[in-house]
Amino acid sequence: MGFLAPWFLAGAAAIGLPLWIHLLRQYRSTPHPFSSLMFFERRTQSSIKHRRLRYLLLLSLRIALLLLLALAFANPFVSRTSASVGGRKMLILAVDNSFSMRYDGHLARAKQAALSAVSNLGAGDRGQVLAIGSRVHFMTQPVEDPDALKNAIQSIQPSDERSSYGEFARALRTIAQSSRMPLEVHFASDLQKSSLPPAFSDLRLAPDTNLVYHSVADSKQPNWLVESVTAPAKIYDPKKVRVQAVIASVGADAAKRTVSLVLDGKVLESKPADVPANGRVTAEFLSLESPHGFHKAEIRIEPHDGLAEDDRFPFAIERADPHPVLFLHAAGEQRDELYYRAALESVPEAGFILEPLAVEQAANQAFSKYAFVVLSDIGTLPAGLENSLRNYVASGGSLLVALGPASAALQHVPVSNQAIQGSSYASRDGDRFQIVANADAEHPSLRRANKLDGVQFYQVIRVDPGQSRVIARLTNQVPLLLEKQVGEGRVLVFTSTFDKISNDLPLHAAFVPFVEETARYLGGQQELSTNVAVDSYVELRSAKEHSASVELIDPDGQHPLSLKEATTATSFQVSREGYYEIHRTNGRQEFVAVHADRRESDLTPVPKETLDLWRNTGRGIETSAPGEASDNQARPWSLWRYALLLVLIIAIIESVIASRYLSVEKEAA
Amino acid sequence: MLPPAPTRFIDPAMLAGISHLDLVAKTVVDGFVAGLHKSPDFGFSQEFAEYRAYTPGDDLRHVDWNVFARTERAYLKRYRGETNSQLTLMLDTSASMGYSSHRITKLDYARYLSVSLAYLANQQRDAAGVIIFDDDVRNYIRPSTRQGQFMRVAHAIEKAQLGTHTNFAKPFIHFQEFLRRRGIVVVISDFYEQPDTVINTVAPLRFRGNDLILFHVLDPQEIRPQLKEPVLLVDMETQDALEVSPEYAREEYSPKIDAHVEALKKKAAAANIDYFLLPTDRPLDEAMLEYFLVRKGRI
Repeated sequence: MGFLAPWFLAGAAAIGLPLWIHLLRQYRSTPHPFSSLMFFERRTQSSIKHRRLRYLLLLSLRIALLLLLALAFANPFVSRTSASVGGRKMLILAVDNSFSMRYDGHLARAKQAALSAVSNLGAGDRGQVLAIGSRVHFMTQPVEDPDALKNAIQSIQPSDERSSYGEFARALRTIAQSSRMPLEVHFASDLQKSSLPPAFSDLRLAPDTNLVYHSVADSKQPNWLVESVTAPAKIYDPKKVRVQAVIASVGADAAKRTVSLVLDGKVLESKPADVPANGRVTAEFLSLESPHGFHKAEIRIEPHDGLAEDDRFPFAIERADPHPVLFLHAAGEQRDELYYRAALESVPEAGFILEPLAVEQAANQAFSKYAFVVLSDIGTLPAGLENSLRNYVASGGSLLVALGPASAALQHVPVSNQAIQGSSYASRDGDRFQIVANADAEHPSLRRANKLDGVQFYQVIRVDPGQSRVIARLTNQVPLLLEKQVGEGRVLVFTSTFDKISNDLPLHAAFVPFVEETARYLGGQQELSTNVAVDSYVELRSAKEHSASVELIDPDGQHPLSLKEATTATSFQVSREGYYEIHRTNGRQEFVAVHADRRESDLTPVPKETLDLWRNTGRGIETSAPGEASDNQARPWSLWRYALLLVLIIAIIESVIASRYLSVEKEAA
Repeated sequence: MLPPAPTRFIDPAMLAGISHLDLVAKTVVDGFVAGLHKSPDFGFSQEFAEYRAYTPGDDLRHVDWNVFARTERAYLKRYRGETNSQLTLMLDTSASMGYSSHRITKLDYARYLSVSLAYLANQQRDAAGVIIFDDDVRNYIRPSTRQGQFMRVAHAIEKAQLGTHTNFAKPFIHFQEFLRRRGIVVVISDFYEQPDTVINTVAPLRFRGNDLILFHVLDPQEIRPQLKEPVLLVDMETQDALEVSPEYAREEYSPKIDAHVEALKKKAAAANIDYFLLPTDRPLDEAMLEYFLVRKGRI
C-alpha cells in the first residue's frame, strides 16, 4: 500500500481541533440552586470527566472523519494484479473502416484479423466490436458470445469517413471507466499517420488497457489521387470557365495519368498529366459546356490504383444567367458607371451584368428583375421614382447609394432617409485627405477589401447615421459606409462616389473586391459551398425558415432525414461521398458534391516508436502478440473512493449523535 | 362522619394564580364540612363516651347516681366533649423552602397548606395561631378565637419571608413556652435535618398532651432528580457548590432521600406523631383529604 499524494497526510494534524474541543477546552457550568446538599457527597465526580466519557463516541467519530479525509486526499492505493479482478477482461475488437481501408482489400484483412482475435475471449470475459471512423461506432453491446462478435465484425462496411485515433482512444477510456475491467484491445487498421490527433495526450489510454495492433498496411502502398478541384459553383459563360484539378501522388513513383473532366457521366475533355514522385501536378480545363441547371461533375484520373475511390473528385456546378444590376446615374455623368462596370465585369464568376440608365428614364422601370440597384450621386430623385425604389427595397430588394457633390444639397439620403448634414471637403487649410479609421472587417463588403487601407477620400457627405449601422468611418469620424434595414430589404450608403474625383478608390486594388463583394452581398449571391468533404455540415435552412420542409436525398437515393428533422434541422452532416440533392424551402433544387477527406489518401503509417508510446500509455505489454496479456502485472488500485465513502457514512453518524447531544443540552438548559 | 369526596382536585400551580391566601384557603377547604374533628379531651357535653369507676378525689357531681342506685357502686359518667380546640401552625421558612422545580416553591405550598388549615379551624371556631421560624422564631400569632384571628394568621403567613438555614432546636424551645394549653401542633417543613434530631426536638410537644402532626413538604425534583447531564448544584442555605452527575443523582441520591423519608416516618410513628409527605406537585385538597381520612376527622 502506498500514497499517490502523501503530503496530504499532513492534514491529519487537524485532529487536534476535536481534541481541543472535547478534552482541553474549559467547561463552564451554570450553577443550579438546590435545596440542600445534605444527601450529596463531595467524593462524587468531575463533570469534565463525565463529559469526556459521554462524548467519547463523538470525539472518536470526529477524529476518524478527519483522518479519513486526509487519507482520501492522500490517495492511497494497493498494488493489485489484473488477475485479482476475478481474472476477467473486456475484449475490444476495433476495426478501422475509414476511407483509406478501401485500399486493395485492407478492410477484409482487418476483419479477418479481428475474427482471429475473437479466440482471445475467455470464459467470463466480455467482448465488444467497434468500427473506427471519424466517430466510434459500437457494433455490439458487451457480450460473452463469440458468435455475436464474429457476426458484428462481418457486418462492418467500408465508410467514407476519416479515421480519428483520438476519438478511438477517448472511447476506450470511457469503456474502461464504465466496465471496471481490464481492456484487451485488438486494433485492426492500416495505422495511418494522418489519423493521429494533433496532441499526443488525446491518445491516452486507461491504466488497465492492453492495446494490440493488427496492421494491415503493406510495405509499399503507392497511391495517386485527385487532391483538389477548383471550379466555380456557378457558370454564367461556359467559354470563360476555368476548372483546375491538382493530381498528387503519395508514396509512388513518377507516373503518367490521364485526367478527365466528366459532366453528368459524360467525359467532356481528357488530357495527360505527368505526376512526379510524391509530388503534384495541376490540370486545367478552360471550358465547361453545360445546359442550364445543376450538374454532377467530376475530375477523374486513370488508370486506377489500389485506392480507386480517390481517383475521382466529385463537384457540383450550376449553369445560370448573369444577374442584371441597374445603375442609375445623372444624365451626362458616366464616369462612375465606367469605373463601377469595369470592376464588376472583371469578375465574371460573380455573375452580374450592369445595365446603366439615366435617372430621367427610370420613371416606369420595374426594379424587381434586378439583383440590386445602384444610385450614383443622383441628387434629387423624382418623387415617383423614390417611392418605387422604396417599395422595391421594402419588399426585399437592395439598394446601393453613392453620395457625391450632387447630393450635398439634399436633406435626406434617398430611400433610407438618413439626415444629410453637409459636405466635408479636404482643403489646404486642413488635412489634404481623410482615410478610413475604423472599419468592420467582418462585413461582406470589406471582407476582402483590406478595410480600404490607403484609400484617400477628398470629399464625403456628412450623414447622420441615426439607427443605421456604421460599417466604416474616416479619420474625422464621418461615416463612410452605412447600412440600414428598410422593410425586408437593405440600403447600403457609400458617402463618397465611385469615380476618382472624390477619392482614389478606383485606383486601388481593393476596389474590385469591394465592388464584387458588395454586389454579392446586395444581390444575395454569397458563396454557397456546393463542394464539401465528408463529415462536413451542410446548411439546410436559415433560422427564419423554421417551419417549411427541406428534402434531402443522399447518393443512394434515400431520404436520410425523418419528417420531423426535415422541418426542424438547420444542418446535416454528410457521411458519404457522392452527390446530395437538396430541395430547399424556396423550391430551389441544389446539388452538394461530397468528397472524402483527402488526408485519408495518405497511407503513410504511424512510426513504430509512436505506436509503442501510445500502447505504453495504457501500461500494456510490450509484445504485440495477441493473447499474451500480462495478467500478473501489478497495478496500483486506488482506494480514495472507499475512504471518501467512509467519510460520508461517518459524517452522517456524527451528525445524528451530535444533534442528539445538542437536544439534550437544550433540554438541560 | 367523612367529608364528601371531591370530584376533582386542584392543581397547586393553579393556586399560585390566586393573589390572596384567604381565597386560596377557601378554594381548598370549600367542600369540607365543619365539625370534622373531635376534642382529644373528654369534656362535659351531651355525647356519652364511657363509664369509669370512681376513685377518691373525683368530683362527685359526675357520679351517675342512677347506676349507683341500681348497683350500689359509684361510676363516673364521661362524655365526649365537642370543646373548641387550639391549632398551632409551625411554618418553616428556611432558605431551602424557596426551592422550586416548577411553578410554585415549597414555601408557597406550605403557605397554602397552613392557611387552609387555619381557615378550616376558623370555620370550626377553633383557636388558630401560627409560628414562623427558620433558625429562630420570626413571627408568632397566638392562637385565639377572637374576631379577625383568621385574617391575622393569614397575613402573618403571607408576609413570611425566606430566612437562612433551619435550626429546629432553638425555636422549639420557645414553642414550649408558648404552648401552654394542649391542642394540635402542625409542623410544616422540608426537614433537612437528621430524623433523630427532628423527632427528638418536636417530641417534647407531644409529651405535653398535644396532638403533633408533621407535614414534610418536598419538591418532586428533590425526591427524584431528573438530571440530563452533570450540573453544578449550589446549596440554597449554605451556598456550598458541588458538581453532580446524573448517574449519582439516579443511583445514590434517590435511595438516600427515600431512606430519610422512611426514617422520619418510622421515628414519628414510634413517637406517636403523625407524619405526611407532601410533594409540591400533589393537589393540596387531595393531600388534605387523605390526611382527614387517615386522621378520621380529627384535627
